[in-house]
Amino acid sequence: MTQEPFITLAGVRKGYRTGSDAIPIFTALDLAIPRGDFVAIMGPSGSGKSTLLNMLAGIDVPDAGSLKVGNYRLDQMGETARSSWRAHNMGIVFQFYNLLPMLNAAENVELPLLLKPLSAGERRSRVAKVLDLVGLSGREKQYPSMMSGGQQQRVGIARAIVSDPKLLLCDEPTGDLDRKSADEVLEILALLNRTLEKTIVMVTHDPQAARSAKRTLHLDKGLFVEEKRAA
Amino acid sequence: MSTQIKQTLVMTRVNFSTLPRRVAISLSMVLSIALVVAVLAGFLAMANGFEKALSSAGSPLVAVVLGGGTNQETGSDIPADAIRSIQSLNGDIGVARDGSGNLLASRELVAPVEVVGTQGLSSATLAFRGMDVSGLAIRDGIKIAAGRLFAPGTREIVVGARLATDFPGFGIGDTVRLGTVDWKVVGHFAANGSAFESEIWGDVDAVRAAFNRQGQVQSLRLRLIEPSSIAVLRASLATVTPTPLVAVSEADLYAAQSGRTANLIRLFGWPLALLMAIGATAGALNTMMSSVSDRTIEIATVRALGFGRLSACLATWFEAVALAVAGAILGVIASWLIFNGWQASTVGANEASMGFRLSVDRDVMLTAGLLGLAIGVIGGALPAIAATRLPLMVALRARG
Repeated sequence: MTQEPFITLAGVRKGYRTGSDAIPIFTALDLAIPRGDFVAIMGPSGSGKSTLLNMLAGIDVPDAGSLKVGNYRLDQMGETARSSWRAHNMGIVFQFYNLLPMLNAAENVELPLLLKPLSAGERRSRVAKVLDLVGLSGREKQYPSMMSGGQQQRVGIARAIVSDPKLLLCDEPTGDLDRKSADEVLEILALLNRTLEKTIVMVTHDPQAARSAKRTLHLDKGLFVEEKRAA
Repeated sequence: MSTQIKQTLVMTRVNFSTLPRRVAISLSMVLSIALVVAVLAGFLAMANGFEKALSSAGSPLVAVVLGGGTNQETGSDIPADAIRSIQSLNGDIGVARDGSGNLLASRELVAPVEVVGTQGLSSATLAFRGMDVSGLAIRDGIKIAAGRLFAPGTREIVVGARLATDFPGFGIGDTVRLGTVDWKVVGHFAANGSAFESEIWGDVDAVRAAFNRQGQVQSLRLRLIEPSSIAVLRASLATVTPTPLVAVSEADLYAAQSGRTANLIRLFGWPLALLMAIGATAGALNTMMSSVSDRTIEIATVRALGFGRLSACLATWFEAVALAVAGAILGVIASWLIFNGWQASTVGANEASMGFRLSVDRDVMLTAGLLGLAIGVIGGALPAIAATRLPLMVALRARG
């Protein structure tokens, strides 16, 4: 029996309007990602990578077609429901970390847990655990301004996984890092996929980053034109 | 604690932590609200002080009898025979009597006099009230603060304590020229800061002689047995003389005068304050829009993490209200420091200058403060809604 994909896009159409002009991004996009996969999505600017990631995050919705993540049809959910879905089912890693500068590392990581009915003690325990996982144990009280880019991104990853989501979306997670820091971040992502079976979708321009994934999909003009599997 | 409250607290913390990034525009909002609050408080304090000065002058235990078809001392004239008739009334007419059985009454008239002052008061028209010596005992809350009362039939005067500080030549023992004759100051009286403190008092006959108003009496003040006794007095007046006379309680007389002027002050003050408030609201709106714009990345980030729209909305609103509260408090404190107790004067009854102190009391502070708060509530509403409509996509591409 074939396992049902964790993420399914079928006949997704998406476009934007600028004034009177309609700009199509996807006309009929299909995609299936099984649970526990680690997919890198590459493609030139304007190919639709960000739009795809926005839709997978429930930040944007398709104009037509179906988009299913787990048991949720995101294309049929309202904004409030998608917001709640994000809080409980996915984590997101931003290119520029998007840490709140006035909060320290632990407080930044704790943010998604504030949306869950957890006691302060439970939240502290979970925060300590994920900071340890990303190698930042002992840096709980440090503010983003006191950290290197690599460390900030690791805080960003900790924040993305602290609520134990099945899906991790990464938007150019190494795009603002030096090679060494980028490798450390990619190592953590691979670890999360391998040991915790997180399904990871990573948009990247960096071929080396893409090599960390199990497979790489190339997007061009709204269509997947090539797929490479890791050796 | 519900997740919604926790979300709002986090967003509120984000707002306040980022305030230093927009200190100038936030400060301008606080100061503009403070200015509106201070201006309104100033006008209300003026109306308030004026009302207090006049209302504390009037006593419900003093009846003022007026003639000549007017209900003000100016223009009133009571014929001498009517006064004699009233004074000869026996039995209970609602008026208190002295040990000899005479009515506690004071014949009075007011002559406006020009006086050169100090403290920026180049000259002023003051009320020079001629009265019987019993006039002091009839009134409530009057006491000779220094010196003594004028003697009957002499050109001696006592002046309100406020006048003594504002005008030269009103020291005890000084001689001051009022009208065409010289008067000797023999005392200062205090009247709880009421309008009486802006008057000069002298013997009724001496005043009439000096101002060529022999035989004239504008008002007859009578000490009532109790406030309700005025009804008995009115009934008695209707039978005593064919001259139409009206008896009003002194409290009502001054309340009517104060109400008109105080309303006029408020009529100027409120529209001015509201106009300024509209400007301040526009400023608040601009400030809060800037605040939302400044926090675009933070708001979009936490919303991308799953935070609801409401937290961004409430937190923005809280910031606006907090800045408005700061402005209102600043405005109230400034108005209290600047205006409270500030000496002002206006033309009161009898076409004479009447001094009063601006009073920034609890009601004034509350009213002006609420206007400041309203500016924050209204000015922050639209930006709060705007904060909920930020496109989340910016979080994904924004440099943090």
